Amino acid sequence: MDFELTDDQLELQRTVRDVLAQECPPDLVRAVTEGGAADELWDTLVSLDWPGLTIATEHGGTGYSWVELAIVLEEFGRAVAPGPFLATVTQFASAVRAVATPHQASHWLPLVASGAVTGAFAVDEGAGTWLLDGVSAAATCDGEDLVLAGTKRYVLDGATADEIAVVVRLDAQLRVVVVPRSALGVDAFAPIDATSVHADLDLDGCRVPVDRLLGEGDATEAISAAIDEALVAISVSTVGTCQRILELDVEYAKERRQFDVPIGSFQAVKHKLADMYRDVERARALSYFAALCLAEGDSRAAVAASMAKAAAGECQQRCTQDGLQIFGGIGYTWEHDLHLYLRRAKVGELTFGGASQHRQRVARLTLAGGLA
Amino acid sequence: MRLHNDSATEAFRTEFSDWLDENLPDPAEATERPHSSADTPAWARAFQAKMFDDGWLVPAYPPEFGGRNAGLFEQLVYFEELGRRDVTRSFNPQGLGIVGASIVSFGNDQQKRDYAIPILRAEMMAALGMSEPNAGSDLAGLTTRAAIDGDEFVVSGQKVWTSGAHDADMILAFVRTDPDAPKHKGISALIIDTDTPGVTRRPFADITGPDHTDFNEVFFDDVRVPRKNLVGELNDGWRICNGALAHERAMLWIMWSQGLDKMLREFLSELRGTAKADDPVVLDKVGKLVADAQSLRLLGNRQLAKQQRGLVPAEQSILKMMGSEAQREVALLAVEALGPAALDQRRVPGHSSVFASDKHVVTWFNRYLFGFAGTISGGTSEIQRNIIAERVLGLPR
Repeated sequence: MDFELTDDQLELQRTVRDVLAQECPPDLVRAVTEGGAADELWDTLVSLDWPGLTIATEHGGTGYSWVELAIVLEEFGRAVAPGPFLATVTQFASAVRAVATPHQASHWLPLVASGAVTGAFAVDEGAGTWLLDGVSAAATCDGEDLVLAGTKRYVLDGATADEIAVVVRLDAQLRVVVVPRSALGVDAFAPIDATSVHADLDLDGCRVPVDRLLGEGDATEAISAAIDEALVAISVSTVGTCQRILELDVEYAKERRQFDVPIGSFQAVKHKLADMYRDVERARALSYFAALCLAEGDSRAAVAASMAKAAAGECQQRCTQDGLQIFGGIGYTWEHDLHLYLRRAKVGELTFGGASQHRQRVARLTLAGGLA
Repeated sequence: MRLHNDSATEAFRTEFSDWLDENLPDPAEATERPHSSADTPAWARAFQAKMFDDGWLVPAYPPEFGGRNAGLFEQLVYFEELGRRDVTRSFNPQGLGIVGASIVSFGNDQQKRDYAIPILRAEMMAALGMSEPNAGSDLAGLTTRAAIDGDEFVVSGQKVWTSGAHDADMILAFVRTDPDAPKHKGISALIIDTDTPGVTRRPFADITGPDHTDFNEVFFDDVRVPRKNLVGELNDGWRICNGALAHERAMLWIMWSQGLDKMLREFLSELRGTAKADDPVVLDKVGKLVADAQSLRLLGNRQLAKQQRGLVPAEQSILKMMGSEAQREVALLAVEALGPAALDQRRVPGHSSVFASDKHVVTWFNRYLFGFAGTISGGTSEIQRNIIAERVLGLPR
């Protein structure tokens, strides 16, 4: 295998980093954290055609692979970029692409690519595992309409997205229905990270036209594949955030002096930073491997996605905990930017199943022969 | 970025795979086992010489040293094929990988002819004299003294942890030749034949059992070594110490990666079908280790990809630490997941091929103990963390 970015991919990485340095500085993240909006950032991303990065050119996108998407997501995580990108591109669009008929895809994907529609993906109903056997929300046919019942929980951008891909049971089958957010009851969280706001959704009595039911027949496998994409996206974004925490810590450990020497000369500090570095590199490698499996349609994509999510979870745990400890008192203030990164790093672990759940999935898939 | 190799690399794999099919010893005739890391059974000596002669022993070397000037990814698939079949290239790994490699890199023509080639062809067994009782992690603090007396060095002092010394024909010893220079600058590398008067080798058993004698204390009492046995320049030994693995340095991680893969494979095959295979605590740990094994492979591949592009990769520094710690973790998990079944030393995993080298390591408990050899030798895990912090992250010493 060739496991390093190509020159073109490195160029994309530089471009995204430069744009975000300009358009999404820590001041913007702080403003959002303190109640502001980031609409201009989204407008900029749309003007750069980034929402359609991996959408096929026939649907108005750029047609890049999942590796290019991973590069963008890592930079978004590094900058703690707020806005609808993650949920729209890596959850809503993934679900639509995996499940929709070609005709439906040609309706929805151009809307995503052009930035006309933002989206979300509603799966979990309270178990916090995002496992499909926990889905009991139901759709029933009533003439030309579908009538929904049940609740969805922990939906990223559930309070703000235009359209929500909702996983429901219809008869005995798992299906996805695209529901306008305005048709749902929405209960937004007071979030630990204001750059990624989750919400609970009340589906009861919601009525949508039947043409919003995606695909034909049971979509369990396709939904699982879409969830795997969401896992990889969260993982690589978390890697970016943790990379930034590591950089801030290293910088601080070189500058901050106590006992007349930089605290980075103490082995107690060095070894923490070395472990953070190892965990970031490990999680990055596994995240890009998963992205590469998605890009090439490799059969290891599912186990790779869970390895990435588990590794990102372990990485964020170390980087948030030791990352704050190394900063000492100054890191414990609201004024310091560190907490912006710590908050984002933790959010990823709390959704789509935590590290332990995914380690167990990796083990089960491996015992069943999933990773040759 | 792509998952698969180009066709030229795969053709190289096929060529080597075909050669192995043709030339691997008959398992029935390969039953004699080595007793130490410098004891190579006759069948293995013959096989190693055959690999050398056909240019498959160290593919990165030129043909005169048993190679074929192979590129990085060709070397990778070469090791993958060896690993897949559990074939050990050399039962004197420090001879092939460090002593022979050092002489190939830094020795003169006569030393290459008299030592490097015989070591590579398994006609001569080698040991590496680095550590001393007071020079472990602080290797440059070594005090074995080599004073110049005419055409000879006179060597006095002691080495320890010298693997296979009691079965070795020669020792590549790092000695202090300038006691007044700063400690890294007064070291030289000497070839010392083990039958030279004044060399005493005292093997001692390691923690895995009283019969497991690979380590030695080696005492030098006024040992007279001809000046021509100096490898490289006088007082330039530290460079040799660091450059010893130059030709295959990029491949070092494979040893960790393949060892980990093998242990995991064996543990999973024991686990399958047992009640423990449904225990969430066990599964949680298995998942972690599977991800460790995969990340090791990925980081190793990324290191190669960077080198191929002419970049200087930083991955190397974490691979040894990750690999050795994960190997110890697998063995620990196996012992504790097996529970009371692991009490019985008669219980052996026993999936190794006859060509494999893990001679002492039979039970999971011994494998666990042996895991510490990985986290202690060759730079402890703590030293590795210092190296990462200082050389990769740029923190002050």
